[in-house]
Amino acid sequence: MKTRYILMTLLFAFCAVSYGQVKKGDVLIKNGTVITITDGTKENTDILIRDGKIQRIGKNLRTPRGVTEVDATGKFVMPGIIDAHSHIAGSAINEGTSQVTSEVSMEDVVNPLDVSIYRALAGGVTSIHLMHGSANVIGGQNETMKLRYGSTNPDDLRFEGAPRTIKFALGENPTRGGRARGIQPQSRMGVENMIRSSFTEALAYEKKWKAYNADKSARKVAPEYDLRMQTLVDILNGDIIVHCHSYRADEIYMLMKVFNDFNIPNIVFQHANEAYKVAPELAAFGASASVFADWWAYKLEVYYSTAYNATILQENGVMTSINSDSGELIRHLFHEAAKTQKYGNLSDDEALAMITLNPAKQLGIDKRVGSIEVGKDGDIAIFDNHPLSVYAIPQYTYIDGVKYFDINDDKPDQRIYINPESSIEEVQLFEKMDFSHRCMDGVARHYGANLFRHKH
Amino acid sequence: MKLNLKKTFRSVFLLLLSVTTLGLQAQSDPTGESAVTRTYAITNATVVQAPGQEIKEGTVVIKDGLIQAVGTNVNIPADAQVIDAKGLYVYAGFIDGLANTGAKRPKSMPRPSNLFTPDPPNDFAGITPENSVTSQLDISSAGIGSMRKSGFAISHTVPYGRMLPGSGSLILLADVDHMDEMILAKDVALYSQFTGAPGAYPNNILGIMAKWRNLYRNAVNEKSHSDMYASNPEGLPRPSADRVSQAFFPVITKEKPVMFDVSSMLDVRRAMRLQGDLGFDLVLAGVEQSWMVIDELKATGTPVFIGLDLPDEPKDSKDKDKSEEVTALEARRMEFYKQHVSQAAELEKAGITFGFSTKGTRGNKVKGHVMTLIENGLSENTALAALTTNPASMLGIDKVAGTVEAGKMANLMISTAPYFTKDSQIKMMFVDGDKYEYEVKEKKAKKKKDADAEPAAAPAASSGSDPIVGTWSFSFTTPGGEQTGKMIIKKEEGNYTGVLTSDDGSPDNDMNDISYRDGELNFSFSIDAGGQSVDIVVEGTVEGKNYSAEASVAAFNVTFELTATKDDK
Repeated sequence: MKTRYILMTLLFAFCAVSYGQVKKGDVLIKNGTVITITDGTKENTDILIRDGKIQRIGKNLRTPRGVTEVDATGKFVMPGIIDAHSHIAGSAINEGTSQVTSEVSMEDVVNPLDVSIYRALAGGVTSIHLMHGSANVIGGQNETMKLRYGSTNPDDLRFEGAPRTIKFALGENPTRGGRARGIQPQSRMGVENMIRSSFTEALAYEKKWKAYNADKSARKVAPEYDLRMQTLVDILNGDIIVHCHSYRADEIYMLMKVFNDFNIPNIVFQHANEAYKVAPELAAFGASASVFADWWAYKLEVYYSTAYNATILQENGVMTSINSDSGELIRHLFHEAAKTQKYGNLSDDEALAMITLNPAKQLGIDKRVGSIEVGKDGDIAIFDNHPLSVYAIPQYTYIDGVKYFDINDDKPDQRIYINPESSIEEVQLFEKMDFSHRCMDGVARHYGANLFRHKH
Repeated sequence: MKLNLKKTFRSVFLLLLSVTTLGLQAQSDPTGESAVTRTYAITNATVVQAPGQEIKEGTVVIKDGLIQAVGTNVNIPADAQVIDAKGLYVYAGFIDGLANTGAKRPKSMPRPSNLFTPDPPNDFAGITPENSVTSQLDISSAGIGSMRKSGFAISHTVPYGRMLPGSGSLILLADVDHMDEMILAKDVALYSQFTGAPGAYPNNILGIMAKWRNLYRNAVNEKSHSDMYASNPEGLPRPSADRVSQAFFPVITKEKPVMFDVSSMLDVRRAMRLQGDLGFDLVLAGVEQSWMVIDELKATGTPVFIGLDLPDEPKDSKDKDKSEEVTALEARRMEFYKQHVSQAAELEKAGITFGFSTKGTRGNKVKGHVMTLIENGLSENTALAALTTNPASMLGIDKVAGTVEAGKMANLMISTAPYFTKDSQIKMMFVDGDKYEYEVKEKKAKKKKDADAEPAAAPAASSGSDPIVGTWSFSFTTPGGEQTGKMIIKKEEGNYTGVLTSDDGSPDNDMNDISYRDGELNFSFSIDAGGQSVDIVVEGTVEGKNYSAEASVAAFNVTFELTATKDDK
């Protein structure tokens, strides 16, 4: 099944051709300090992007006709930042009413009007992983996106050809949901059982359909179609990468055992605050982790945490990324990456890989983005200082060679739709909601609260 | 696709027409209230037969529910009641693309105590595509009269509900004795909206999109099973009698389109996404952000009804010391208000044919909203087409409705001036050949001059005789608790104004669109829910000093009970 997965990834890389509707740019970024991630840092180097792809990297490149020149003298040029865990740009986050909702997909709820997209661009972010929430054990499928802000069409923001991914969740969030609704799972035991029984059911479902498809009779009756089961079958066949919300080492280990039993080749553990305790086991499985730099203690299962988590994982050979899970943190993921130098002395490339190449690998898009290499997409972030410096301020952000953020053209109001019936309030950079993560968004909706007092 | 759809609607329509007309033949009139004659001649009128097609000094002859003749040189039958329409304007009765007019919101299903949230009963989940709006129609509904008074003769009325409430029907906005008489075509489109079940699956857009696909694909399988079984059952398992799947069968065969109520641009795209995945015929209605999907509408030719529930014009702060930032934000908000009100003009410019839908708004707002669209660039001819000929052809009834032509149903709107002028008023309506007359209000300027000529208006304005003017104590029951306060209604220059105050010191809420007619008191008010205005529509009846009403919040698809008692002075 592993080979099948690799084949799928390859296939997706080629599928990209069929889209091609999005804007592609031509630009020559001149004389910058180019942090390639995969091939060291190059001083006074130019990057030529043609038709959205990096065509050349070198010194003193000539500017072809029709190509815009950008002077990056004294500036730092890095691959666009990738956030492997985000909940911005979604009209809904959780379908938390059922504990298995593999059939739902964030691709249906992409909201290109969300101004958080622009804020992320202003932090050098070019791609995000819009995830379903963690209210249920097997949540919805996620959407990998490029932040092509300005279009009202969700299709323009899709990362063409990115592999399918899905959200799982362990621990307190799904059991809280279960207890609130009086349904399984109400404990961590129930979570494991739910995953195992769902996969077992999916195998039976697949068997029924295989028998149906093999039946040569003209008078055959199709079994019941179930998008939920079909999606689980796709996971079992390695067609969907599982990104699992998790904190505790015991449950991380549990899921690896479950996936071993069902022969599922890949897992990315999200949050994974205790992953450092099972780092060798993760490495042996080939699982990876996407963690916070230093965010913890917001609930009981997140107390046993360390800021050295990312470094310990890295040193143990676990591919690790650092994510935001927040409309606020996403603006300065480069600071988050820098914390791995304070806590663990990672090299510049190792630290920056945690917000570029590593998340790209976890999303299966590393053939396209995550480093500055010839042939890759022209997704670039340009800073005035080294991005790991606390003084770094993003200057320009490019996607497919098209400029989506320019600090010199940073209008105070970047919204692309405004409800004419909205009231004008003191503008705050972030609503309170954005600070906390939206993992449990939509779950604790106060329904029918006092309408008169509902002033928010 | 547009043509097919038209055919689809028409075939459903023709099939059902034969059934529905049968009942009409045998009507008797024990009350003696019916008109002396059903033959009318409207003479000396300016007849706008169709957009841009006008006859001066024309006559329209109506007989037995049909337009018999239109022209300047027309024989007036001997049995005709002649209506001298000098100075009046005759138009085809309007056709509403999507509304709940005439339907009564059913009592919401109480949350079952043992609800299994992942798989609630279909009624609670809102998955009842097998239902027909006819089971919710109420001939005494005040909406029928108020929409007719606003110029509408035909409404595509859809059932209340959640994700798949059932099928909508074309109804005639006529006063009838039996529901069947008002039905022009039953179950013409399967109606759907992105409304989730409260606290149960599918709860929101995520679950609804998935559930839609699942239901549809299963229905496709079930249909081929059923077809196979019908042609030869031998050796085959019996197909299930699943009503939900079966409701999709005519959609799968494209005998019936799916009409989605999709106000936002993103919901429009989601409906189009489902259409693209599954391949049914799609009609979009209630669309409020169409300017962002013009290319897609044009490319797919998807029929579209623009929602007449326009936003209120934003009111900028009058504070002289307001900051530059606030001024800039107000300007941007106004920019988007302008987008909303000029969208019809933009569709016209792009050559997209559209109709209007009134769902979410009220009859007495229709003209004002259409005029706003005209002030922002929509041509009068296209506005009229969007109210008449376009919906007629989009709903497959252009052979019988939409224009003032001989042979069509006698659905007419007669106004005191060209309709798209500020002072025009609707004086008369004909629906299905029956006449409805309305009092024409004199202009206010005139009123002052002829104050003596209208002594009757004076007592009505004083609070003593008006049954609703005064102070009421209300109680509003929500799951979050009971809210009590005062409801103060005044009458000024013939119009009601009112305010809701709260006993607990919450801010006052203005009562909007207060209407009182035949004991039915309706109004709406808005509350601010975190920068987003939420409309609450209150509809109920007054009996003496008691008011009993339902307050519905369309945004959440819920209703609460509101009762009030009039205070003694």
